[in-house]
Amino acid sequence: MADCANSLLVCPQCDVLHRAVLLRTHEIAACIACGAVLARHRSLSIDQLLALTVAAALLFLLANAYPLMVVEVGGMHTEATVWGAALLMLHDWMMWPAAVLALTMFILPLLQIALRLWLLTFARLGRRAPGSRGALVVLHRLRPWSMTEVFLLGALVAIVKLSSWVHVVPGVGIWALASLTILLTILSVIEPRLWWTLS
Amino acid sequence: MNSRVITPVQASAVGLLACRTCALVMRRTAILTPPMSCPRCAALLHERLPRSGERTLAWLATGVILYIPSNVLPVMYVSGVGGGEESTILSGVLSFWKAGAWDIAALIFTASIAVPATKFLALGLLLWTVRRKSSGARRQRTALYRLVEIIGYWSMLDVVVVALTAALLQFKALGAAEPRLGIVFFCGVVVTTMIAALSFDPRLIWDRGKPR
Repeated sequence: MADCANSLLVCPQCDVLHRAVLLRTHEIAACIACGAVLARHRSLSIDQLLALTVAAALLFLLANAYPLMVVEVGGMHTEATVWGAALLMLHDWMMWPAAVLALTMFILPLLQIALRLWLLTFARLGRRAPGSRGALVVLHRLRPWSMTEVFLLGALVAIVKLSSWVHVVPGVGIWALASLTILLTILSVIEPRLWWTLS
Repeated sequence: MNSRVITPVQASAVGLLACRTCALVMRRTAILTPPMSCPRCAALLHERLPRSGERTLAWLATGVILYIPSNVLPVMYVSGVGGGEESTILSGVLSFWKAGAWDIAALIFTASIAVPATKFLALGLLLWTVRRKSSGARRQRTALYRLVEIIGYWSMLDVVVVALTAALLQFKALGAAEPRLGIVFFCGVVVTTMIAALSFDPRLIWDRGKPR
């Protein structure tokens, strides 16, 4: 591709041209015109990224296998999980918010973790993953729609709200969800745009 | 600090084009017909997102329309020993406030009422100034766009709270909660305003009125 000019960087928010430079630790490249973050120094190695992603996958499993919270009233008790809450709403008009919840809080985060695992495993082996082009485009498109942190805050508000009526006990799920949120935030430092240079 | 003044140059002004998906920079002359895909990631290439202004306006208007029933209609019904009660988003905020939980009240107010309203105003302002080809405060307006992008999805908070409350409060006469129609509209507000923000091309803020 003779037409590619890869030492160049174009700001996605204002189209201003920059020359790419090597970033040192903690350095961030910002657009000179609009201030958008163009690139960050990648301080984590492939090994570390892979380890964190495996940990995220395990936490995702725990966050969904165990209840987020348990409510007890007069000998009866109910539990809530991420997809359990969505499933309960799946009737009539409520199927729309239920579908949005299931997608943004469960399916898309799961897909994101799975795709990252796939890409990183192959990057670790020094090879380009099969279907990596599609995987990277999907990761880029899904980015705004994965809402684990919103679910965490929502669950905490629900605990406070419910505790005014009934006895609520936070479950294993909520601790796993909180840890998962932290891990996903660390991992999101690698923007999908930068993944192209990884493999 | 800077010994020399750097004049920003737009890629489109020097015949370059960047892929929005994978950031590959290429020469525009290599692209012959307009619907052309990126040689690296196969995503469609656009100098600017097609009909960005109209699309953003359409999604934004949909969001504004849905915002009305989402605030007027009840989002949840809670029944207990003392009878049942429907609550709207605002009455939910007020009941937290009256119970002394001002922090939770402020949180829900911000996520459910202030964030959508901010998005309407900010995107409306951006669309209006872009249409006027205004040249002032470009940096600040781009920052405003980034703010809209960042705060966007936090509005889903109330949908999560209602879903979890309804899932957990299932004790019939002793206490039960059900979601109500308002939450459907509210979820629609969040999704449509998010699509509106994604449809807006911030590069329009930086475009000059006439091609040079």
